[in-house]
Amino acid sequence: MISPHRSYRSELVALAAALLVACAALVGAISVGAVAFPFGAVLGQVVHPDLSTQAGRILWEIRIPRVAIAALVGASLGLAGMLLQTMLRNPLVDPYLTGTSAGAACAIAIGIAAGVASAALPLLAFVAALATALIVAALARTGTGISHERLILAGISLSALFAGVVTLVILLSPRASTSLSILAWLGGSLAGRGWSDARVASIYAAIGVAIALALAPMLNGLRFGENRARALGVDVDRVQWGVVGAASLLTAAAVSVSGIVGFVGLIVPHVTRRFVGNDARLTLVTSMVLGAVLVVLADTVARSIDPPLELPLGVLLSMFGVPIFIYLSFRRRAA
Amino acid sequence: MIELNNVALAYGGCRILEDVSFTVRAGEVLALVGPNGVGKSTLLRAIAGARPIDAGRITFEDRAIGTFAPRERSQNIALIEAEGPPPEGLLVDDVVAAGRLPHRPWWRWTSTDGDRHAVDGAIARTNLAPLRNRPFAELSSGERQRVWIAMAVAQRARAFLLDEPTSHLDIKHTFETLALARRLAHEDGGAVVVVLHDLNVAAAFADRIALLGERTLLACDTAATVFDEALLARVYGIPIAVRHEPGGRVLAFAVPPKRGRA
Repeated sequence: MISPHRSYRSELVALAAALLVACAALVGAISVGAVAFPFGAVLGQVVHPDLSTQAGRILWEIRIPRVAIAALVGASLGLAGMLLQTMLRNPLVDPYLTGTSAGAACAIAIGIAAGVASAALPLLAFVAALATALIVAALARTGTGISHERLILAGISLSALFAGVVTLVILLSPRASTSLSILAWLGGSLAGRGWSDARVASIYAAIGVAIALALAPMLNGLRFGENRARALGVDVDRVQWGVVGAASLLTAAAVSVSGIVGFVGLIVPHVTRRFVGNDARLTLVTSMVLGAVLVVLADTVARSIDPPLELPLGVLLSMFGVPIFIYLSFRRRAA
Repeated sequence: MIELNNVALAYGGCRILEDVSFTVRAGEVLALVGPNGVGKSTLLRAIAGARPIDAGRITFEDRAIGTFAPRERSQNIALIEAEGPPPEGLLVDDVVAAGRLPHRPWWRWTSTDGDRHAVDGAIARTNLAPLRNRPFAELSSGERQRVWIAMAVAQRARAFLLDEPTSHLDIKHTFETLALARRLAHEDGGAVVVVLHDLNVAAAFADRIALLGERTLLACDTAATVFDEALLARVYGIPIAVRHEPGGRVLAFAVPPKRGRA
């Protein structure tokens, strides 16, 4: 795959730097909020949790689970985007390609309109997201493998269908509060998320990560095109199902706790490639780290601008993230 | 090493080849020739186990090709297909190292000493040392072909299946590429099957020639036997002249129609 004589020094330095930034972002995000804590207090509570103090309770019951979920969502979306972009060799693909977000949104809209208890919504979103991904994968199936064109077409078609249903439910719901709840979910948010959400989502995300990392060497083989990869002993069908399965699982886990947080899964792979190149072993790991950093920072901003009000996370990422991305990506031409 | 018994191939639901039987021995170069669309590349892919066959049996060292797991198959057989889009962002060394992929279990992420030896050996065997740190995308067609062959050598394959390796090459690079293929067979003991269009190039470099046409294998022997004016004219649909030169060399020419006066 990649020359055994390569040293990877600069790539590994970049990855180490990303990890350092991630640690700083985590500690910073935990200390910032309606009640601010100095770094020392945060570190002290992390090393020796003391739930008898008010600071301990705020940190361990509110702040730390929230930051952990933000990291989980970011890492999952970053990795899912990286997997799909690598397999499809298409930099325009994002993790919602397989219809996960639209399917979940549709189920959530109908669920909220039908009065489903809010505690049941994450599970509903997760099941709907995975079910939609399954339908899309089934439509894209050809023989034993997956056709790239059919996958993209099926994903876009189903997403359009479900988006239409969501709009219809919002327009037809008799109470404004229903519409607002649906819109809030669509805007993406981590408000009120705690350990129980993190536990469930992290199990599914962990399965997705394990599958993804096992596929890394074979994804490198796919860089030579499908035919050449087959000639090199890569079981292309298995890689395709693995990538679609892992990406769907990761995205469903993220969507179930955060609603729709766009942009992360599209942008993180681009930034990752700029840092560490194209070797899947490096890009998969780095995309998780950078995804976590991005969402942790964005969520911190979302809840700190005007507490106790919170900005929708997905909206915030689009409004501030996209201009920065455009600046970073397109300034080269002027130079 | 490779044996085909009454093999039939279908493409898009209809049979394109039937009743193809021949063997390829270790240490020999077999050229596959025949008109465009006759199924040479499809047959090559079938021999590599990369596509299913419709009937018959293909074996590699007496074992049906379909029973090999993908990685195991690639440890024994290298398929070098006609040029596709070049992989981006990779050096020559990286491309050659891709030949080690079949030898790597999924849980091993880093190279071993065995990988390093195999890559260095393949680079030396194909005289790529001066190019090994160049970006692959910047190479000429002839150099790229050499890199693909080096990848197959790094694969430590024993059978090399080359699909039109000379289609974009000038005469000199054609000769160099096929001379390399000959060395893989005659010096390293590999079995080489190469799809070629130029009958004279096939006659010059291959030990035997398999002529495909009329949906089957029409002949499989030395050029002196296979190059029969009537047979070639029937297969290609144009008049073809064959010359037997002293020393055993055989040449085949298409005979162009006389140019009419305007």
